[in-house]
This record gives sequence, C-alpha cells and structure tokens, in this order.
Amino acid sequence: MDITFTPEQDAWRREVIEFLDAELPPEMAFDVEFDEDPRLWEFSHSFTAKVAERGWLGLNWPTEYGGLGRPSIDRMIMSEEFAYREAPLSGSIGWGLTAGSLLAGGTEEQKKYWLPKLGRMDLHVAEGLSEPGAGSDLASLRTSARRDGDDWVINGQKTYTTWGTHADWLLTATRTDLTASRHRGITMFLVPLDLPGVSMSPMLNLGGGRQNHTFLDDVRVPEEYMIGKEGGGWHMIMNAFYGGGIHAGHAYFERSFKEVLHHCRNTLRRGRPMIEDPLVRQQIGRLALMVEQIKLLTYESVSNANNAKPPAFGGALGVVVSKETRPHFFELCNQIVGPLCQLQGGRFAPLGGQVEAWYRHSYANHAGGTSQVKRMVLATRGLGLPR
Amino acid sequence: MIDLEFGEQQQQLQQTAREFFSEHCPLAQVRVLEESDAGYAHELWKAMAELHWVGLRYPEELGGAAGDILDQYVIQLELGRSLAPTPFLASSVIAGETVLGAGSKEQQQRLIPAMSRGELIVAPAWTEADGEYGAHAIQLTAAADPGNGYRLEGVKILVPYAHVAGQLLVAARTASGPDGVTLFLVEPDAAGVSIERLANIAGSPLFAVTLDGVAVDEEAIVGPLDGGWSALQPALARATVLQCAEIVGAGEAVLEIAVDYAREREQFGEPIGRFQAVQYLCSDIAIDLHLTSLLARQAAWRLDTGRPHAREVALAKAQASEAAQHMVRQAHEVLAGHGFMVETDLQLYTRRAKHWEFNLGDTAEQFEAAVAAL
Repeated sequence: MDITFTPEQDAWRREVIEFLDAELPPEMAFDVEFDEDPRLWEFSHSFTAKVAERGWLGLNWPTEYGGLGRPSIDRMIMSEEFAYREAPLSGSIGWGLTAGSLLAGGTEEQKKYWLPKLGRMDLHVAEGLSEPGAGSDLASLRTSARRDGDDWVINGQKTYTTWGTHADWLLTATRTDLTASRHRGITMFLVPLDLPGVSMSPMLNLGGGRQNHTFLDDVRVPEEYMIGKEGGGWHMIMNAFYGGGIHAGHAYFERSFKEVLHHCRNTLRRGRPMIEDPLVRQQIGRLALMVEQIKLLTYESVSNANNAKPPAFGGALGVVVSKETRPHFFELCNQIVGPLCQLQGGRFAPLGGQVEAWYRHSYANHAGGTSQVKRMVLATRGLGLPR
Repeated sequence: MIDLEFGEQQQQLQQTAREFFSEHCPLAQVRVLEESDAGYAHELWKAMAELHWVGLRYPEELGGAAGDILDQYVIQLELGRSLAPTPFLASSVIAGETVLGAGSKEQQQRLIPAMSRGELIVAPAWTEADGEYGAHAIQLTAAADPGNGYRLEGVKILVPYAHVAGQLLVAARTASGPDGVTLFLVEPDAAGVSIERLANIAGSPLFAVTLDGVAVDEEAIVGPLDGGWSALQPALARATVLQCAEIVGAGEAVLEIAVDYAREREQFGEPIGRFQAVQYLCSDIAIDLHLTSLLARQAAWRLDTGRPHAREVALAKAQASEAAQHMVRQAHEVLAGHGFMVETDLQLYTRRAKHWEFNLGDTAEQFEAAVAAL
C-alpha cells in the first residue's frame, strides 16, 4: 500500500502548475460547460491551443499517434491541477471522447490520421450521441446512415449537443444496420458541421450554457469520416466513456470546499466566525468527507490501472458515488451559506455568487448516463443480482 | 506511487485469519459465547496468542511479533467478518500499546510478555456516566495522598472485559484542564473496586467499574503525571482505524447476506433482487462498504508510515460509524421479516454495529475532530 507520488510525478505536477501560473490569469478561469461569454471562449481556444502545443491533450496516447506515451497517473495529476484552477480547457469531446473512441476501436489508419489532429486541436468537436428518444438507453438511437456509392447519407436528430456552436465537427453515432441486434448495428462518424443538411437550434441550459438540437437531413459524408468499423460503434462508445483517461473530479469538489471553508473562517455570524458554530463544523466535516471519498475513488482508479486490476463493481460504483455526491455536496454548501446562497453576484452575494452557480451546475449530472442506470449496472454486473 | 492494495504479507495473513476464525469461531459459536458469563472463548484467545496475533505489534523482545498496523488491520477485519469476540482491540491495542508508548520499562516488562502470551488482559477505562468523549469528560478523581500515592474515586462505564482483566488502565483527573488527566494501573481485586455487568444491545462484555477510594501507589502511573490523555491518543488513533476495519469486515458479511437473500428469495414470481428498489438497497450497502474500506485503508497507511493522520482517521471513523448503521439497516430492508428473527444471522451484525458506531467516537464526534484538524 502506498499513497504517495514519485519525485518524477511531483516534478510533473510542478510543471503543470508553472504552466497554469503563466498562462491562466485567475479572471479567465471559467467553466466551459456553463458560460457563453465570447471573450472567455476566445481565451479558452487560445489557452487550449497552448496546452495542445505541449502535447498534453494526448498526454497518455501512444507516441505513434502523436501522444506523449505517459502513464495514466500523469493525466490524473494534470486533471487535478486543471480542475483545481477551473482551467477553461475546451474540446474534450475531441481529445477525450473522440480520441477515446478511436483508441478503443479505431482502425490503425484512422488512429494515425485523426489522433494527431485531435491532439493538436486542429478540429473542434461537438457531442452528438444523445437523441430525443435515446438518452441513458443510448442503444435505442434511430439516426440512420445509409451507404450511397462511396458516401454515407445520414438522417436523424440529435440532442443536448454540447459545444455545437463552438465546434466545427460533430461526433455522432448512427444506425447502419437495421437487421442487426440493437448493440451491433451502430456506427460512428465525424461530421463536418458546415455540410449541407446540418442545422442546429439552441437549447439553453440551467447552468448558463448553450446546448443544441442538431438536425441531420440527407447529410452526405465520405467513407473516411467513419470512426471505427461499420457496426463497431457501441463497443467504442462504452470503452471511450470508461477508458478515456482518469478524470480527477475530486479537485472540483476540493476547490469548492476550500472556498466555503475560507468563507466560514472569515464571516461573522452571531458575533463569531461561522467556523466556530458547532452546526457549521458538522456541515464542514460532511463536505470534507465527501471530498475524501471522491479523491480516494480517483486514486483507486489509478491504483487499479497500475495493478492491471479491473475496477470493482463493474466500474459503476465510482460513477454512482460521484453523481450522487454532487447534488448533496452543493445543497450543503447552500445550507452553510444560508439565504444569501440565492444571490447571483453583487455586493451581498457570498463568494461572489459562486455558490448559486455551483448549485445550478449541479443539475448537469447526467452525461454518460444517470446514476440510476449506473446503480443497475452496479447491482447486476457488480453484485450479481438478476437482470 | 499510488497503490491501495494490501501487500502479499497482509493478503496471506488475512487468508489465514479468515480460515482460522471460520473454523474455530463459526457464528453458532458466537451465539453460544454471547450467552456465556465469560463472553469470549479463552481457548480461542490463547490460540490467537500462539499465532502471535495477540501481541502482533509488540516488539519481539517482549514476546510480540513486531508487526504493523496493516497486519492488525486484516486481523481486525476478519474479527468483524466472523464476529469472534476477543479483547484484541481493548487489551492488545488500546491498553497494551499505551503501556508500550508511555509506560515505564518496568511496567512494559511486567505486563507486555504476559499480554502477548494471552495470559493477561488489561481493560482500558476512560468513558464515564455521561458517555462523553474527550479529556473534558474525565471526572473520576485521583487525589494525591502525600507519601501514600493516590486515591481514586469515581465510576467508569463501557469498560470492556473488566471481568477477566488482570489490570485496569484507568484515566483519572489529577488536575483541572485538558492536561490534568493521568493514567493509572489498578488491580481489579483491590479494596474498593467493584464491577457490574452492563446489559447492552451487542451482548458485549461491557462493565461499569466503581472505584471507591481505591489506593494506588505512584508506580501505578502510566506515562507522565497530568499527561495521560495525550499518552492515550496514539493507541486510540490506531484503535479507531481498527474499529473501522472491523466494520469493513462485518460489512462484507452483511453485503453477502443481503445479496444471497435477494438472489434466492422469490416474490411476485421472481427473485426480489430483480426489483430495482431491492437493487438500490444492495448497492447502498456496497457503496458504504467500499467507501469505508478506502478511507480506513488510507488512515491505516498514514499511521503505518508515520504521517500526520488526525484528519484522515477522523474522516474514516465518521464514514465507518454511519456506514455501520446504514449497511445493517438496508440489509434488514432486503431481508424484511426474516431479518427480524433471532435465528437469522443478520441480527448478530446489526446489534454489534450499534456498539461499533459509537465506540471511539460517532460520526458527530469525528466530524468535530476532523474540522479541528483542518
């Protein structure tokens, strides 16, 4: 048992911190999921390009695909520092989900063609998997792709398209074989968003960001935009979600925790610092416990990767805990701050209104499937209960 | 290097311990022992001593096995799984390691080898009638009797294994304030000592010990005068983590009981484990168990490697205390009426879980300790 970082890993963390110190002014830190301010987005693109220049977007991809071939723990360390600083790293659908899909099931030719481009941030990719009728049950998707000569013609509707208006490509999943079983007939494509037949309409979300309805009407794409093999989409999607590097979600909670703690130490209530109030101390203790839980689940993923050990409980337990912690954590932040938690900034808002924003953002908790669906995976695949 | 797995040594020790307790103390035997006057099996304790588990962390020259807390962790985990009642946590860890950490050479040589052999049990006594945790709650007085040592006056409760203890390790107030606590070794058969068994939900051998002007000499002091609470802390921190390990072991058993039942029990024409409501209950147990294990292992590792650990130990027990209660409650929802019957093994865990939840501090105590350590 060991919970330390090696000197090399510590040096890597310092390198990441120095980069962020140099390239990320605190006022430009923002959550790319929930902000549409064009000035911030412009910064995000140039900031992400600088990360790409260093090869860090493909940090742990094999070197033959333009990656740096570094171990997954280095990705976790980078993710910790980026999340802790709320670094506006955009395009994770490209270098995360698309690259993860390719690594899981792309052909050699596709990997050599696309991965270096994704790592350099040559293409900005939006997410186009979910459909109005296919959310947690993604395998029921109905968007079709039909072969026509050397091309494919795509028809259908996608929804919740994140970053649709900040991207120039769409990663999408289509049904290419109506006769195959529902998991077998799915094929993925990268679709240029400027092709005839692609249109979007906005869906504004509670977090303050824009997602989109995406309509695909007779969109003709060449064969080389297929990702993976015909009919191989489902396997890639599942493994991209579970295998696309280790995400350090705990840093997000830890950052909020430290800000709330700072607030409690520096705010008087009934004539004394809030942190001296026994009830507040219980609430802070509860927040600290949640941070620790999520952190250890992340570290366990690293440990499992090192030991080539499959994740416990069908890989679902960490996802369930993380998804279920989030609403609870930010509700508790509201309770600690009290009635002022409703304020969206201005001179009376605690923590500059961040508590209010965190709380709204906590409702964006369903990407990759709801916690209820993950609970079913945990119970059946993890515990062996009947389906 | 991030590696949360136990090493080969602990894995082997755990396997041996699992086989040992399932052979020598099956749940049928746990039921018998719970009804017995002794409340534990002395032969089992002696057999554990022969395996060098009783003095696991003591130095070899005092008859111990010079093991570490990770070794103790897997033993305590298997004690939780098997429910074998032993004075391991109370005597070997809390009392023994306090004597080792703070006691004089003479005290160590007099007590530790006999403790290692399983011949001497030392019962730690710190809780008093208000049930409060912490130095402020130590009110039993030790008044200096010039030239004649001290006289102890007061009552301790929830003292484990006092009925078979060869020595009591008593925390007494010798001055005011948090530093005014001193530890004394007291002979249980000294004049003025009386012992009363406390009926309790876990069926544990817990006692009230009344000290009515009990005279002790200065050699009975363990550690510094007015420094007893601090002297007790290292062993209490280790015991707190081991209490978490016991909850993890029990949680593994409780999860197995719930999942097995959910797979076998049929209602409405199918196994109840197919119902999502029941799947939720089972997954709740798995989540509590897994998180408790992660937090407890981290805390044990920090203790083992001599790192600062106050926050991690407190958060581990905050988690474990809540999990202990929640895991058995959810299992009872799965087993329903069946779980309420005494013949069902689940209730053996349920009743002990309540003792573990509060032993060495419940969630509220531990949150307070964690925040104090931030």
